[in-house]
Amino acid sequence: MPDMSVLAGPQQHQFNPYAENGGTILAIAGADFTVVAGDTRQSEGYSIQTRYAPKVFRLTDRAVLAVNGFAADGNMFVKKVKQRLEWYRHAHAKDMPLRAIARLIQTMLYAQRFFPYYVYNILGGIEEDGSGAVYSFDPVGSYEREACRAAGAAQSLVQPFLDNQIYFKNQTAAPGQSHPTHLPLSDVLSIVIDSFTSATERHIEVGDGLEIYIVLAKGRSLQGVEGLRGLREMSSREDGERVFVLQRELKKD
Amino acid sequence: MSIMDHNGGSVIAMAGKDCVAIASDLRLGAGAQTIAMNFEKVFPVTDRLYMGLPGLATDVITLREKFRYLTNMFHIKESRPLQPSTFAHLLSSTLYERRFGPYFCEPVLAGLELTPSGTYQPYIAGTDLIGCLNFAKDFIVAGTASDKLFGVAEGLWEPDLGPEDLFETISQTLLNSVDRDAYSGWGAIVHVITADKVVTRTLKGRMD
Repeated sequence: MPDMSVLAGPQQHQFNPYAENGGTILAIAGADFTVVAGDTRQSEGYSIQTRYAPKVFRLTDRAVLAVNGFAADGNMFVKKVKQRLEWYRHAHAKDMPLRAIARLIQTMLYAQRFFPYYVYNILGGIEEDGSGAVYSFDPVGSYEREACRAAGAAQSLVQPFLDNQIYFKNQTAAPGQSHPTHLPLSDVLSIVIDSFTSATERHIEVGDGLEIYIVLAKGRSLQGVEGLRGLREMSSREDGERVFVLQRELKKD
Repeated sequence: MSIMDHNGGSVIAMAGKDCVAIASDLRLGAGAQTIAMNFEKVFPVTDRLYMGLPGLATDVITLREKFRYLTNMFHIKESRPLQPSTFAHLLSSTLYERRFGPYFCEPVLAGLELTPSGTYQPYIAGTDLIGCLNFAKDFIVAGTASDKLFGVAEGLWEPDLGPEDLFETISQTLLNSVDRDAYSGWGAIVHVITADKVVTRTLKGRMD
């Protein structure tokens, strides 16, 4: 075979430093708790790289971070946030408050404004006043505190469902009554599991496993988490805010 | 942006117990600009069969008129009721005739099929723009908000809903989906088809 490459035009090669690894994350704030969840499938194109790659991480006893997008960037970003929180502990002998973590994440993301972490972040936890809080970020650090947020591959499937079930959008309360501003934990957990089973059914990049982090405010009773199958405590002490993980299976096809 | 998304709009159909429902939004746009807020995309085919046509508005009107002609011809030539399953295959072959220069619509059907025993059975179907039929047991979605509709419908729909519950389910699904879609919305219209009547309701939605 003669060398045909001399006949072809100039060839360009480019390295793409980013990938999109699928999956979906979701967080919902209650009055005195927050739930942060993510599926555990990691994919590239039509291939599944692994069925168990966590996207949700405990930062402190009152803060949980979910990262979705480019998995390598996500893991690196979580590592750096954890490192900054450790330095804060050494300097101030306490955990960083949630709103301060949110601002820290903004500055860390914006520091990479011209070579961003290709990651959507959702931070959930307990505020200093004891209320549940969710902060959602774009890849360059623009952020907002909300009651609920979905992000990732199935955001478009899950977010309108949450608008309806959490914010009661397009629903009118009975005369003289009003919709609750915060739902009880058991209702929130049901909605989270329903959201992920729905997303798994209709999106190829969502499935395999579901990891649900539950953060409870200091002094809150265990109502809503008691008796849950396979509940694991992640917090370092019982007299502060407490973090629990719940694992569920999702369809693997 | 695809030509399918130029005018915006979404349609959904759902099956219930002895009833079906089909609904569309009312927006007609040209890209991001809204042109009209009264553009219905669901049309009656027979007394017990409705067809939704989201997609390029010019083709929506062309196809609506084409199928009005074809159903009229069917009634003249065959002098018997046109069943949904018959119409679905007429739809499919009509669209496939334009395989290499298609109409930019994704039709959705919702109707009641007459069974040999004389009862009516829920029938919903959808096709892509070249007529590939999709028979679903639960719901069919199409249009610019289809991904949102899939997510919400998958969460809200359940088997064997009666006409009133089916109306509530399809309405909530459509309204909450189009509220997250810039190219759909501006009100909605819902048809609930039962054996003895069709109930049509116009819904107020977010106007932004």
